[in-house]
Amino acid sequence: MSESERTVDMAHIIQTKGLGKEFNGVWVLNDIELTLRPGEIHAIVGENGAGKSTFIKILSGVYGQSAGQICIGDEETCFTCVSDSEEAGIRTVHQEINLNPYFAVYQNIFMGSELYRRVFGIKVMKDRAMRKRARQVMERIGIDIDIDTNAAILNTSNMKIVEICKVLVHEPKVVIFDEPTTSLGEEERKKILKVITGLRDKGLSIIYVSHNLEEIQAIADRVTVLRDGCKVGTLTREEIDVDRIITMMIGEKTYEGFARHQSTATDEEMLRMTGVSTHKLKDINLAVKKGEILGIAGVVGAGKTEVAKAVYGLDKLTSGKIEVNGESYKPTPGRSVAKGVALVPEERQAEGIIPDYSVSKNITLTYMDKWSRLGVLKKKEEDLDARQYIDKLSIKTQGPSQLLKFLSGGNQQKVVLSRWLVGDFQLGLFDDPTRGIDVKAREDIYMLMNDLAAQGKSLIVFSSYLPELIGTCDRVIVLKEGRQVGEFKKGMDRYEEHILAAMLGGAS
Amino acid sequence: MKDKSMKQFSGVYFAKKYGTALFSLLIFIAFSFLANNFFSVSNILIMLRQISMLTIVALGFTFVMGAGGFDMSLGNTAGLVNILFGIVVVGTHNLPLAILVGLLIGLAVGAVNGTLVAVLGLPDFIATFAVGSIAYGIKMLITKGNPLTMPASAVPAFTFFIGQGRIAGIPFPVILMAVTIAIVTFVLSKTQLGRRIYAIGGNKLASQYAGINVKKYRFITFLLSGLFVAFASIILTSRLGSAQPLAGEDFMLDTIAAAFLSTTMFGEGEPTALGTFIGAFIIGMLTNGLTMLSVEYYFQYITKGLVVILSVLTSVYLGGKLKKR
Repeated sequence: MSESERTVDMAHIIQTKGLGKEFNGVWVLNDIELTLRPGEIHAIVGENGAGKSTFIKILSGVYGQSAGQICIGDEETCFTCVSDSEEAGIRTVHQEINLNPYFAVYQNIFMGSELYRRVFGIKVMKDRAMRKRARQVMERIGIDIDIDTNAAILNTSNMKIVEICKVLVHEPKVVIFDEPTTSLGEEERKKILKVITGLRDKGLSIIYVSHNLEEIQAIADRVTVLRDGCKVGTLTREEIDVDRIITMMIGEKTYEGFARHQSTATDEEMLRMTGVSTHKLKDINLAVKKGEILGIAGVVGAGKTEVAKAVYGLDKLTSGKIEVNGESYKPTPGRSVAKGVALVPEERQAEGIIPDYSVSKNITLTYMDKWSRLGVLKKKEEDLDARQYIDKLSIKTQGPSQLLKFLSGGNQQKVVLSRWLVGDFQLGLFDDPTRGIDVKAREDIYMLMNDLAAQGKSLIVFSSYLPELIGTCDRVIVLKEGRQVGEFKKGMDRYEEHILAAMLGGAS
Repeated sequence: MKDKSMKQFSGVYFAKKYGTALFSLLIFIAFSFLANNFFSVSNILIMLRQISMLTIVALGFTFVMGAGGFDMSLGNTAGLVNILFGIVVVGTHNLPLAILVGLLIGLAVGAVNGTLVAVLGLPDFIATFAVGSIAYGIKMLITKGNPLTMPASAVPAFTFFIGQGRIAGIPFPVILMAVTIAIVTFVLSKTQLGRRIYAIGGNKLASQYAGINVKKYRFITFLLSGLFVAFASIILTSRLGSAQPLAGEDFMLDTIAAAFLSTTMFGEGEPTALGTFIGAFIIGMLTNGLTMLSVEYYFQYITKGLVVILSVLTSVYLGGKLKKR
């Protein structure tokens, strides 16, 4: 956007030209032009699905590109595997911490690249040399961690630092940081950022992927914004501004396919959470009306799923109170079902379906009593009712007796929804209800949600995909690091910008 | 394209569905030709009587396995029930009381297993193995390893009928087994209990998220396993005519064999009551047939071990092939 021609001529360590990636005919990344200069922190931002992780996976050799070139210095290269990229001096510090807790810090640093000599053909570790090197790396980044302690007793930020050291012993020219500060506290976060800026000052080039725009404003030299797999533009240090980045991330979006035009919220209250805390949540206070669709927004790890788990009784409350229909109760999944609470879980495969059960058995799983007398099931009636929902939700299946594992993701999700629809629930907790399903099924589910609200049911939709929340919800509450950081009502001025700013930690 | 894949699939499907049943038929035919008297009504009834206790134990284990669990305690629990049943029946001459005590011991062991595994979340292999070791210790402490003789004069008349009697020529244990198979088939395939047990075995987390009380139902499976072991042990004691501390030790491996053979049958991937019976029948045929062929006793252990490996291999391999689709 504002990158002028002159920058192309400046020294660069990596340059991508027209880089693109397609999966099964879908282009998830298009025509990315990006330069990384020596000694800069180049941040990459974008909403979920904008192409950030695809981009860094191409640079680190996990995926081969489908179009375009990568130049290292002036030389055009192509990475076919991770070691190609590593040889070119590119290393990644991954989001997840992956240390062996029983190994000492220095052993973790050299994990997989141990220094050894051969004695009669047997590899003997050169511990002294490794410890010396590990200490040098620590000194270089100005951190003092005892290299002989076990990784298990380190705190999270120090574990992260060990991960960084693991990369640094290879003397890389470029380090990619993927969300290095998630799940860290304020002090720990500052420590990591200081290490990263320190590396930059020593001449390393850094690609920095993060959801936290405040952090980016604090440390980045340039920011490239991606949206829907395309580059929107690159901002220089002087141009970086949280509001501006947000505007670039959102762009012009249309909300066709979302059926909700008018709220059906009533005055009656369905759910109230008062001061609810769990191991991941702090002091959640919210209420949902009958007929209302409430959205819960937040980046990955913000605590959305944990709210659903708290209400449904899967996570223990450390404090606070949950009331459904005006009655306070201590939730467990069984009690929640009895109270009319339904959960459509986030991880469909792991938490939603019984893959070896038929469509009909999956549908009748929760409200089994409806089809049984004295504990004996009436199979014909089960199949009959299942067939009714197969038609109603246009579930593509050979019939009620087909095993669920043979259905596509969208149809499996409809089966999980049917499981609740058969029982006339009152409050639906829909955790990422359209994850990984096709457009048609997605629209069907939006329509269904709208109908359910019109019938007076309350829904809470948990999602990090903003257009979905904007399109389907009457109101959106934003979570960040387990806390409520904002509430926004549909129709307010700059609705979407405000939500995104709250999610990403900008001024709101 | 879809049709083609369905056709390729059906070959595997057929093998998975009927492979084990065909395998058992092959063994049956082979023994019929090799061993004289193998294929006779009297021998088949003997065989059925031999496997009746194993089948009942394995049916209890089928509940545990259906919910994705494992019970390593049942071999030693069997001996414990044996001893205590014998002591009570000899001491009190009260058969119903002795049966009640025996069944309660089984339920108690099941409750301990269930508490450790389902409620407290210990790994099932280790917890039930340890419980089995405790049961072993208790029965040895009581008996010092000696069997307790049960002279016919010292016990109520019906005591030996349970394991040795016949009704219309059919051994009583076989009738008990048939009734048990019918009940377990009904419970597993027609009731909420069975549906929930298999659901937990199919996906524990999803079952919990669907509102099923997973802890409760897993606990119940261990209770049932203990109860069925006790039931089978009482028949065994009656059949042997004495209470043996080591009786029923073979139940462990034989049960695993029968239950895993069961999972390889009817293409369900989950053990069924009928499948477990056929599994036990295969084990029984091997024992009976090899004995008739005068194969050395210890060789039977080798054969059983091989059958377990083969059945688990089949179950894993075919199961994996189906899952990959």
